Amino acid sequence: MTHATSSRVQTHIGDPVSEKPAVARADLEEIFQDIQSDLRFDHELNGCLNCGICTATCPAAHYYDFSPREIVQLLWTENLEGIYDAMQEKIWACAQCYTCAARCPFGNSPGGLVMLMRETAIKHGMQSAKNVLRPFSRVMLKLISTGNQLAPDMINRDHFADWGPNISKIDAPLKVLRKAIPMPTLNTTATAWEVNLKTSIELYTIWEETGVLKQLETIDENLFDVISDIMDEKREDWKDWLADQEDEQDD
Amino acid sequence: MTTRDTGNERFTGHGPEWRDANLSSEDARIATSWVEQKIDRRSMLTNKERVEDVRDIMWQLEKDGEIVVHRVSDEHEPAMVKTLYGWDKKVPTRRLWHHKSCGQCGNIPGYPASLLWLMNRLDIEYLDETDQTSCTAWNYHGSGIGNLESLAAVFLRNFHQAYVAARAQGLPDAYYYPLVHCGTSFGNYKEVRGYLLHSATLRERVKKILGKLGRLVDGKLLIPEEVVHYSEWVHVMRDRIATLQEIDCSQIRATIHPACHVYKMVPEDAIYDDQILGGNRVAVSTGILQALGAQVIDYSTWYDCCGFGFRHIISEREFTRSFAIDRKIRVAIEEAHADVMIGHDTGCITTLDKNQWIGKAAGKEVDLPVLADCQFAALVCGAHPYKIVQSHWHASSTETLMEKLGIDWQASKAEFVAYLEQVKAGKQENLYDPRRMITSGPGYIPIAKRA
Repeated sequence: MTHATSSRVQTHIGDPVSEKPAVARADLEEIFQDIQSDLRFDHELNGCLNCGICTATCPAAHYYDFSPREIVQLLWTENLEGIYDAMQEKIWACAQCYTCAARCPFGNSPGGLVMLMRETAIKHGMQSAKNVLRPFSRVMLKLISTGNQLAPDMINRDHFADWGPNISKIDAPLKVLRKAIPMPTLNTTATAWEVNLKTSIELYTIWEETGVLKQLETIDENLFDVISDIMDEKREDWKDWLADQEDEQDD
Repeated sequence: MTTRDTGNERFTGHGPEWRDANLSSEDARIATSWVEQKIDRRSMLTNKERVEDVRDIMWQLEKDGEIVVHRVSDEHEPAMVKTLYGWDKKVPTRRLWHHKSCGQCGNIPGYPASLLWLMNRLDIEYLDETDQTSCTAWNYHGSGIGNLESLAAVFLRNFHQAYVAARAQGLPDAYYYPLVHCGTSFGNYKEVRGYLLHSATLRERVKKILGKLGRLVDGKLLIPEEVVHYSEWVHVMRDRIATLQEIDCSQIRATIHPACHVYKMVPEDAIYDDQILGGNRVAVSTGILQALGAQVIDYSTWYDCCGFGFRHIISEREFTRSFAIDRKIRVAIEEAHADVMIGHDTGCITTLDKNQWIGKAAGKEVDLPVLADCQFAALVCGAHPYKIVQSHWHASSTETLMEKLGIDWQASKAEFVAYLEQVKAGKQENLYDPRRMITSGPGYIPIAKRA
């Protein structure tokens, strides 16, 4: 829908004067069902009187077209079109500070509900999720393949120019500066700390068993392939090490 | 109460029926004082129903033979503290397993190094090992990749490792108790523990995974009695830490940034102390700063988050930097005339520290040193500003703070630069024996084979 007067709602939900919705009712229901079926849903949504204390204290509401009150209202009133619309952009504005949850007199957790909507956006491969998460791929590669979200070699002036010239106030090679940290686990550059090979192998099992790799494949197939290759390599390394141990014992 | 001069501008949004009450300043103050009371006191957190102590469920599940509880035992020499509702929490003080933070270790390594340095000075036994992942919650909250099951499985795996880690040293299970460094890990693990205790379905699902990993105890899930944040250890040890103090900091005006995931997530588990800011703020960090004699100055936006945002700090830093500067740093400088902002979480320290320089581009020049509570404590207890506190990784002007403390940072920096030559030669100084850090798998040296 590209004519000059189209709005975001029209783009994602359909033309309000057209009888044909852009998203089938069955799809909207399935999306809501996925959000609602999470065991956290009933814990995080208990009712809402529209008091707005959540939005009044929300950092994201200062800067974005985002209101935790609106999110709660959409879910509480089961406004399926509105939920779908909010999943296009708004849910990604939330800063996940949980100030709303701490303040809500009903014990709701709008921030927690946003997470259920984000997970669902990913499960359904929504373009909004793909767009928003594209700049996150470097971080996801690091986390899923190593178990560390942030590594020293990611913090550099190319990627964090706005942090200014003082990413390190001492001009020396990163490797040397990391060796100068008096915790031997931290003498690394590619991960925040040295991660035991066995630990990585266990983490891969968790990713597989809990459907995280499937989520990743839905959102970014290329990244999924790269991570799968890394996982295969590390699993080979682990097998080799176990075989070496057996040989040593036999000797 | 301060009134902002807005000229003739009126805020809109009241609706056409709105009429100005024309109250005097005093009447306006009285009329709105209840709002301020509500914001200033922890009553906003305590006036809630449906709050239960999940530890009651935990003990029942153990009694029913469903789970095993990793106890904070007498050997961990626990200190008792009071939480939001006056409940007791046991904080272990020794035999600690460091559950590191990816953001701290990757970006501000003086944070964990200062903590370990304090422990060495107080002769506290601990283990810092390689067999751990991050909690993965930063990624989860930022991207939505992950789910309750994955978070729960990672939590139980890491805490199981803490339980068995001492085997590598020929010591019994449950010898070490996990100490969580990151505020998000702390909040996330507590939230996940609650869901695990409430949901038999979740327990059943993750039990299969933990079984595959060989991470069950007697065929059962292992649940920690307490989830403990490092700032809680610092808090209960504050008077002992103060005995190490070498540098007077009574002239320092400190503002505290309490971390959202430390006290807003599972708020019933956060420590409050009537002796610390009247019990109206979470006690950690303020407690240690006061014990060291610094002036803790309040400011109106203490309750705001830092602007980290999990996703925003990586891909939408316009929001992060605007919030950090406008709602935190500038307020601390203008209202509290702060010399330093002290925090107790990875993301907050990073956000508040790194996002000041860019303010110049928008005519918002700010300059406020930012440190973690344990870094400040280590600094005034005589830790080396570069070898231990690693202040060179901080973008904010920690040098200004050091000057106010009477520390010759230039001399210390020159020492550190010279020390790097020693490091290049492979002769770096460590806080513990590096052979302890690998407890299994490649690189592990069994005790019998150690020289």
